Amino acid sequence: MFSSSQFDATSAFSGGGFMPSQSTQLTDSTPSPAKSRNSLGVVPVTVKQISQASQSGDEKSSFVINGVDVTNVTVVGMVFDKAEKSTDVSFLIDDGTGRIGCRRWVTENFDKLEMEAVQDGMYVRVIGHLRVFQDVKQLVAFSVRPVTNFDEITFHFIDCIHSHLQNPKLQGGASTHPHMVESSMNTPVQNGQTITSNLMSKQFDVDGLRDCDQLVLDRLQQSSSIGQEKGMHMDELCQQLKLPMEKIRESIRSLEDEGLIYSTIDEFHYKAT
Amino acid sequence: MDTSSPSIFVNGESLPLYFGKRVRAVVQVIQSDGAGTTAKSTDEHQLIIKGLPVIPPLNFVEVIGIADSNQSVNAEIWTDFGSTFDTASYNQLCKLANREFKALFL
Repeated sequence: MFSSSQFDATSAFSGGGFMPSQSTQLTDSTPSPAKSRNSLGVVPVTVKQISQASQSGDEKSSFVINGVDVTNVTVVGMVFDKAEKSTDVSFLIDDGTGRIGCRRWVTENFDKLEMEAVQDGMYVRVIGHLRVFQDVKQLVAFSVRPVTNFDEITFHFIDCIHSHLQNPKLQGGASTHPHMVESSMNTPVQNGQTITSNLMSKQFDVDGLRDCDQLVLDRLQQSSSIGQEKGMHMDELCQQLKLPMEKIRESIRSLEDEGLIYSTIDEFHYKAT
Repeated sequence: MDTSSPSIFVNGESLPLYFGKRVRAVVQVIQSDGAGTTAKSTDEHQLIIKGLPVIPPLNFVEVIGIADSNQSVNAEIWTDFGSTFDTASYNQLCKLANREFKALFL
């Protein structure tokens, strides 16, 4: 059983599963529940962003980019200086914004075959986790795949921009971003108009969800404080908070993932921890 | 880790801003004779690319090199991107990378 101070959603989202052993391996033991919500799995980044990333507390395995904890990243760039050794293959990847060293451990035949297909001068997509070794940031790659459709390069950088726009919203910096989104997307391209409206609506949805989580949590905490042992039924929450059931369910899911609430007599009754 | 020598995403419109700097652009070959390649940028400007081998017309090629005038690039590295490429998206990326989101690239 994990208390809210120990539970780290990083391990749940990136490791796959809630097994205690996996959590132990992957947790960075950051105590704040709000921070744990910010880990985003594999984040598309440029090497420039990696160069500006700061380390998260004393943990060398986690970095902060745009105020968000990031461990696993994906980079698309050109391979240089590939060097094969018996246990690993190292290379530099240059995405036009900078160069970063990468290392791919070769323990199985699959790894070896994957790396044989990679040559200097080739565009690849690297997925791996960021580490610091002797004060130098590098990528420990677990996937290196040659790019065959070069639209993937364009896509990756647009994905980096998109991810960059998404992250500050989670920090509550949304007040400045509507303006930024509008100015960047109001270019005279027909598609741009659609993209603007989609992004804007998504932005407000994210803000709305956070407020909803807080309302649900507050109500459940109130109900605990007046001694309601079995907590509250989801229908009660829906009626009292006057929110759609879908939003209540989503909030309950996120709050439960963060260890702030738990189910009691059945899967419809929840109580604050 | 080294970010000292970036290559900036450019199209025809932004190329003049980076005279003497390392740039990268995807262009479509119009005419290629080994001496200089005439190509079209993603925003339909005509550019001259020096240092390329003969490339079939209408193929897309990514060029990384030094901008040596408002309309030409001295290629150091080139990659054949084939016969199909989404120039509209790339052009938008060039604009975004040179304006609001420059900090992610330079």
